[in-house]
Amino acid sequence: MDNLNELKKVWLTANTADLPSSDEMVKAAKTYRSSKLRGKILVIVIALLLSAFMLIIMFDEKLSTLTFRLGGAFTIIGAMILVITNSRSIGRFYRFNDFSNQEYIKFLKQTRVNQIRFYKKTQVASLIFSSIGLLLFVFQMEYKNGITGIVVYLLAIVYLLYAWLVIRPTRFKKQSKKINDKIKRLETILSTLERNDK
Amino acid sequence: MEFEEIYLKYSPQIFRVCMGYINDHEQARDLTQETFIAVWKNLSLFKHQSKISTWIFRIATNNCLRAIEKSKRITTTELPFNLPDIQEESQEEKLTFLYNCIAELGETDRIIVSLVLEDLPQAEIAAIVGLSEVNTRVKIHRIKEKLSTKFKHHGQFE
Repeated sequence: MDNLNELKKVWLTANTADLPSSDEMVKAAKTYRSSKLRGKILVIVIALLLSAFMLIIMFDEKLSTLTFRLGGAFTIIGAMILVITNSRSIGRFYRFNDFSNQEYIKFLKQTRVNQIRFYKKTQVASLIFSSIGLLLFVFQMEYKNGITGIVVYLLAIVYLLYAWLVIRPTRFKKQSKKINDKIKRLETILSTLERNDK
Repeated sequence: MEFEEIYLKYSPQIFRVCMGYINDHEQARDLTQETFIAVWKNLSLFKHQSKISTWIFRIATNNCLRAIEKSKRITTTELPFNLPDIQEESQEEKLTFLYNCIAELGETDRIIVSLVLEDLPQAEIAAIVGLSEVNTRVKIHRIKEKLSTKFKHHGQFE
């Protein structure tokens, strides 16, 4: 193309005036990773607050019946499973600093393996404990309330079934698709580059 | 080299390359930001095995290639085949036209042509993209031909 220089002139007219200043960029860098991991941090904070709340209630003598304490203990176990899993996951993201695409694909594949393990084992364990905990709690609070108690109990069961049968698989499918698409796309690009280089 | 100095020197270049790849101002800004966040976090780990510009451009181009959701929204509208003769196009229109032509290229070609337009030497482009110099030269030649054809069809820069 004879007009490459002309194209370069046009290319350089792009407006770059609204890019952030270097100070703003440093500020953004300091908060960036935590914003990407906000969801995981939120789960940890909520799980810890819930556990603290449960502990306070469990040691309240007026409420201290066996079902109440069992419900509290199960819920705390479920919450702790979430705290540990999410803390590990955050640690993994913080440790990843490699910029080679091959390393990135390896990281994504490990993320996929972790996602499947979480879906099939960790999340199941956490949900079982939390569900039993919740049902024991609701039972303790509502068993004397007749019809209202039954309705509340049924609502709790419906909510848990919805979480198990709808929210859980839908979220898993969505996350799996996202990560699989990303791996597939990067692998295609890299294999095209490798083919071109032979 | 201090981060501020690096940022002032390379951010406009990185933004233009991201813009060439993604063809969307907001997303190009996000990609530029992600690139410099990575530079800021890893500057102390940079081992000077390559030029700092090569390292920064490699981070930026990898970010572009990984931006899966963003890339779905690339403007790849087919250009009308016979555009009426335009008497005096503004710089902005010319730039938009250039971005649209680049958007019709493949992913790695978009990156390569953006680096060419940034006036990077072919050896550095090869190091950034991960191709041999010979193949990079061949690719650049083909991309120029493709772009030239598009421009000729649309009566631009003749």
